[in-house]
Amino acid sequence: MSAVWATFNRELRAYFFSPLAYVVLFFFLVINGFIFAMIVSFLNDPRSPGGPPLALFFGGTLFFWLILLFVGPVLTMRLLSEELKSGSIEVLMTAPVTEGQVVAGKYLASLTFYLFLWLPTLAYAGIIAYWNRVDWGPVAAGYLGILGIGALFLAVGLFASALAKNQLVSAMITFALLIFLFSFGLLENLVTNETAKKVFGYLNLWDHMDELAKGIVDTRRLVYYVSATLFFLFLTSRALEDRKWR
Amino acid sequence: MIEAQNLSRRYGDFTAVDGISFAVDDHEILGMLGPNGAGKTTTIRMITGFLPPTRGRVTVFGKDLFEAPREARREIGYLPENVALYPEMRVEEYLAYRARLEGMTGGAARQAIGETIERCLLEEVRGQIIGTLSKGYRQRVGLATAILHKPRVLVLDEPTVGLDPKQIIAIRELIRELGRERTLLLSTHILPEVELLCNRVLIIDRGRIVAQGTPQSLRERWVGNPTLRVTVKDAPEGVAEILGALPGVLAVKPSPQSTESGAWVVESERSADVREAVFRAAVERSWVLLELTAQKASLEDIFVRLTTRDLAAAQGVESNEAPPPAPPAIPTEEVVS
Repeated sequence: MSAVWATFNRELRAYFFSPLAYVVLFFFLVINGFIFAMIVSFLNDPRSPGGPPLALFFGGTLFFWLILLFVGPVLTMRLLSEELKSGSIEVLMTAPVTEGQVVAGKYLASLTFYLFLWLPTLAYAGIIAYWNRVDWGPVAAGYLGILGIGALFLAVGLFASALAKNQLVSAMITFALLIFLFSFGLLENLVTNETAKKVFGYLNLWDHMDELAKGIVDTRRLVYYVSATLFFLFLTSRALEDRKWR
Repeated sequence: MIEAQNLSRRYGDFTAVDGISFAVDDHEILGMLGPNGAGKTTTIRMITGFLPPTRGRVTVFGKDLFEAPREARREIGYLPENVALYPEMRVEEYLAYRARLEGMTGGAARQAIGETIERCLLEEVRGQIIGTLSKGYRQRVGLATAILHKPRVLVLDEPTVGLDPKQIIAIRELIRELGRERTLLLSTHILPEVELLCNRVLIIDRGRIVAQGTPQSLRERWVGNPTLRVTVKDAPEGVAEILGALPGVLAVKPSPQSTESGAWVVESERSADVREAVFRAAVERSWVLLELTAQKASLEDIFVRLTTRDLAAAQGVESNEAPPPAPPAIPTEEVVS
């Protein structure tokens, strides 16, 4: 356990010591703030259909997805690629630690930083609550979706980071995998076969977020995120072990 | 105590290490010598548990590295060839992280960090960011990482590469001191270092052990007959003949290293000391002896003899001397301490 904690602690510090984190944080907040302002002014227009602003904010726009597709690779590309490139993996893996502990520590650090990115958006809910009544259930469900999708995306990113020494390559692999995961759901509209439609429908991340933002928590979705996340973390640890045999 | 049994490692079709067996005893400094690409680093990586061997096994104090990896690794401190640290961390912070990785906590960790900083002479830079440190200091931080958890076995891969002479002396001093209390395996291609530090030497070439023993015993076994360098001022005709006729002298050749004429290399029988005879011969004939030096064969000669065979073969060079025996035929020497 102390090995997980040590890795987690070091990686989290590394985030806050790197300029990249602040660049990401800055643009993340600028873009989200802009989208939020757009949504609010749109809903204020008497001709708009109306509705809770945060439901639109959570996954209602393409921006939400673009940001996530971008943040996933950027937050994870360094985690293992850098160790592989600099060779620090050698002193790390000859310490009395397992691949699983290293993966867990690094993953939890990236997840923590990811949640830290979202933390300021709580202010949006606060602003709405100041002027209007907020239904906190759907808001909480929306953040649950952000956690679930983020958890999955970061696990995919960490896996890619174990594959490549070069951070850019690892980011590109992540990006490709995430596009693949994301567009699974969109294939729903491109197939006619009933079963295929159903399968892709289940994997439609956009629908998932829509539901959650409306306050519908479907445990099947959560099971999907948790199991897919664990699957990718397992692959990451296997990829690390596999490197030794080549 | 490290024991490696029949270690082999392949990378695809390439065999980097081919059936190496050896043991390092407590309080012993074993030097591993070999040309670049001989398989030293691969061997070391298998011993520290970074690479699994294709065949064979490694035990550290009886703990198998691949059956009980965590217990075995806890006994090992490792300084890799390329010391990679996290450049954004401060020295003390990095050591604290390493202590936690090794499972040390609270007061014990703090004490170990303090001691290690003192021992590796890192006092002045303890608060400095690692990325700003000089190569020498980074090497010391690497060494500090290796000894932090007080392992009983230390494995150092080329510990003095890239350091300036003063730093090299400091690191060697530290290594010698550490070797007194631990089992130490040192890989290097710097020959004087081996003679200075090691009780015993392994010479590795193309993935096999080609010779092992104390530096002394290697010298006795692999070096040819003792030689003397003799320089005579304004040497008259016939000096070589007269020297060659002395009892015990086998051959006299002009010295290859000297530009002045009148310098010879006198090869003698192993048991004979011909210095006195040379001196008397000179006095009788009123030669002025400028130099009379017994040449001590260095490990370098042995190393070159044992490891250059494939280079010569590759270049199609025919050596006049009898080629050294092929690796399997060489009788390897057991521990002589």
